[in-house]
Amino acid sequence: MSAVPAGYEVKDPGFPTPKENFLTNSKGFLSWAFTLDHKRIGLMYLVGVSLAFLIAGLLALGIRLHLLAPDGWLFNNALFQWLAPEKAPNDIYNQVFTLHGAIMVFLFIIPSIPAALGNFLVPVMLGAKDVAFPRLNLSSFYLWVAGALFFVSALLASGLDTGWTFYTPYSTTTDSSVILATTGAFILGFSSIFTGLNFIVTINTMRPPGMTWFRMPLFLWATYATSIIQVLATPVLGITLLLLIAERTMHIGIFDPEYNGDPVTFQHFFWFYSHPAVYIMILPAFGIISELISVHSHKRIFGYRFIAYSSIAIALLGFLVWGHHMFTSGMSPMTTIIFSALTFTVSIPSAIKVFNWLATMFKGSISLTTPMVYAISFIFLFTIGGLTGLHLGTLSTDMHLHDTYFVVAHFHYVMVGGTLVAFLGGVFHWWPKMVGKMYNEMGGLISACLVFIGFNLTFLPQFVLGSRGMPRRYATYDPEFQSLHQMSTWGALLLGVGLFFALGVLLASMLRGKKAPANPWGGATLEWACTSPPPFYNFERPPVVGDPYEFGNIEWDAEADRYVKVEPEREVVPDETPAAEPAHAADGHA
Amino acid sequence: MPATPRNKTYPKNFDQVTVTMPLLGDYTSSKFSMFPESASTFSASSDWMFYFISVICLIFFVGIAAALFWFAWKYKKPNGQRAESQVDHNTTIELLWSIGPGFILVIMFFWGAQGYLDHRSIPEGAYTVNVKAFKWGWTMDYGKGVMHPELHILVDEPTKLTMTSEDVIHSLYIPAFRVKKDIVPGRYNYMWFRATTASEKVSDEELAKATEWNKGSTWDYDKHQFTPDGYRFYDLYCTEYCGRSHSEMQTVVVVHESREELDAWIKKYSKRPDDESPASYGAKLYERRGCISCHSIDGSKVVGPSYKDAYGSMRELTVGDPVLVDENYLRESILYPKKKIAAGYAPVMPSYKGQLSDDDIYSLVEFIKTLSDKSDAQPDADSQE
Repeated sequence: MSAVPAGYEVKDPGFPTPKENFLTNSKGFLSWAFTLDHKRIGLMYLVGVSLAFLIAGLLALGIRLHLLAPDGWLFNNALFQWLAPEKAPNDIYNQVFTLHGAIMVFLFIIPSIPAALGNFLVPVMLGAKDVAFPRLNLSSFYLWVAGALFFVSALLASGLDTGWTFYTPYSTTTDSSVILATTGAFILGFSSIFTGLNFIVTINTMRPPGMTWFRMPLFLWATYATSIIQVLATPVLGITLLLLIAERTMHIGIFDPEYNGDPVTFQHFFWFYSHPAVYIMILPAFGIISELISVHSHKRIFGYRFIAYSSIAIALLGFLVWGHHMFTSGMSPMTTIIFSALTFTVSIPSAIKVFNWLATMFKGSISLTTPMVYAISFIFLFTIGGLTGLHLGTLSTDMHLHDTYFVVAHFHYVMVGGTLVAFLGGVFHWWPKMVGKMYNEMGGLISACLVFIGFNLTFLPQFVLGSRGMPRRYATYDPEFQSLHQMSTWGALLLGVGLFFALGVLLASMLRGKKAPANPWGGATLEWACTSPPPFYNFERPPVVGDPYEFGNIEWDAEADRYVKVEPEREVVPDETPAAEPAHAADGHA
Repeated sequence: MPATPRNKTYPKNFDQVTVTMPLLGDYTSSKFSMFPESASTFSASSDWMFYFISVICLIFFVGIAAALFWFAWKYKKPNGQRAESQVDHNTTIELLWSIGPGFILVIMFFWGAQGYLDHRSIPEGAYTVNVKAFKWGWTMDYGKGVMHPELHILVDEPTKLTMTSEDVIHSLYIPAFRVKKDIVPGRYNYMWFRATTASEKVSDEELAKATEWNKGSTWDYDKHQFTPDGYRFYDLYCTEYCGRSHSEMQTVVVVHESREELDAWIKKYSKRPDDESPASYGAKLYERRGCISCHSIDGSKVVGPSYKDAYGSMRELTVGDPVLVDENYLRESILYPKKKIAAGYAPVMPSYKGQLSDDDIYSLVEFIKTLSDKSDAQPDADSQE
């Protein structure tokens, strides 16, 4: 242990390695299907959302390949006409972009970080054995599966062609499977509410002694803020979708002007959920980045309180800005201007976080590991995504940019460059903990670079497409836009290669990876105090809660390729002395 | 592929554009531009605002990215080395960067809102065109029964559009004017703008050549880059997703130099010329009034039944006995389209009651007759125009 300085003694990173971990303590399909273990549920979510991402990602590649040519290349060509002769040109494209959006939003991005990583991490970070309601946790996973099945059946029945936004009156009049898909989204809403509720109760009631609110890891703050939105906003989506189904089947006249309804009401209802949902998607990513930047810089997170409060600020302000999706809908000028002003306020908490992450890196000891490179990539891409939001929040420029590719590029920079990249960074960061194996570091770095380059090549051209007037959701387009579209398509293919590469690196590690130590990165939060992978009950005895960002007593052990916790050798002092002394002194003076 | 109207445009230097792959945008044109041409009073202010925001964003972005990469390079340390500092807060700096950018945001918001209010303050006495959007096309109503898919307006005069939709939500977008507004069924939405650049007119030879090339088919706006009347144009797009042919729901804007020229154009389309046969005029109405977006003339199934061989045939209905497709059925279907729905089709056609004159309907019916061999009317020599 040459790296350990004199005067320090090595403490075991956690506890003696248990014989069984949560992956091996019981076997067979049923032991997974009926498990109440939050870690197994988290892994099942991880597999589920990855499958959803695979499907929606392939649909995205389909979109990009279609847009290689102005008249539509992929889905308007002879092969697809032959495969689906009953469809007119553009029909397949319209269904593909709809399903891409709906699957990505409802089945991947919303559950990705909270349900997959959050389920695994929240109890471990709290030093707890499980979430507060393990059965509710399992049921939320099965609700997710049920929602996914509804989406698949919508796809197989007659497709869905409304866009993921289900705008009325198009969605009340089209003959595609709107009811199946909205039922799916309704069920997924409950899955999301249950997860949120579970985390709120878990974080409120199961923090170990000594972990005050401001000694929680920032990932827990982000998860908490996300859960608040999930519980408060998702019911509105449920109500809206039920009203939409009622309108479609019974023509009760809420949204459809033909029955004296108002279609803009639907937009208000829909975005009242779906704008906060944007923060359901990005807030957990902020939480991951706060952990990644701090751990891999081996430096205390800068501005802990500002980061924590900004998460809560975003969660609350996020409820007040839904109208900016409707600047051109014909709302009154006063309403529009108020929404514009509120939209600008929500940009500040995000900026605060970026500055704090940079300050954390300043004078750190940075390890350019795969998770760190993903985190750096996140800051770069999210900054672009955030700043281009200013063009859209400003009313006079939004009149030109609304519903063009500029918007498409903007939200992909936030959702993909932000959430997806943070999700990947998080998966690489916690992978050793989850499966107990180290992946090939060089492979991970290559995947991070491919994703970064491919992503920028895909979406930078789309900003220019948008400002030059290319409307979104077009199956065919004017030839003057072709070169930019082609560039975007080549980028998307590269991005696809990068993502498959990342998947390959992770899968290969399960077969050939080195055994992971308890603390491969030098993190100070509690999940690094238990073995990799954790035992069934996470901790054999309650862990000692320390400062989650105190790296002073974590040392690199070069021989074992791991970090260990060291504590200064202390003089043996009688238990009562420290606490009792001030009391005596006070008495003496009194 | 069924015939659908594609009023899209090729850039004037289309041949050059496809040859090379520009890095960012169209470097092959004479000058690089982030924007389409600028042709209204809103364009300049909107573009200025865009550049103002972009410059500020760029300053922040370059600063953040430089710090990000510099720190990652400068503070990269081998494993086990301790960080130089463990400072974890500095309230002054944090308050500074939390509050500071707010001032810039206030300016952005304010100027943006100011520009927006211009969009919403419609001048009195503006030249008004009523716009009807439908799946998938546009009808510009110039009053006195003159309707046409092209939008014709006056240069330097404010133009007001009163817009409504026949079916679902659409959105009218003219990139060159930097204006956009949703068109919502069941209510009127308004927009206005003042065009600053009149459309050029192409030479008579060029127009004659194109007319000759285009004979017997729908006018190809893409290929010619001017309207059948010989005007250059600005694109007008639908930007709210509205179904199958959303991306083909495009038309053009022509800006006239003078009121006389505009009036002459409107007069030309006011009614059937005395020397034109009803069937020939019906063929023009078929394209101009949007029938073409849902009904084919080559037998292919689009949204509605094809006109080919329709006249004189028996038609299965969703409810009730089959009917003979005759003049009465056609007229009824144009005026009250939801009364008798052909089997296998959705009841989506809007009514044309009050939008087509009796002569227009008569012309359309005559045109449909020429497409069927059961028709007793002989095709006119000039009906294929």
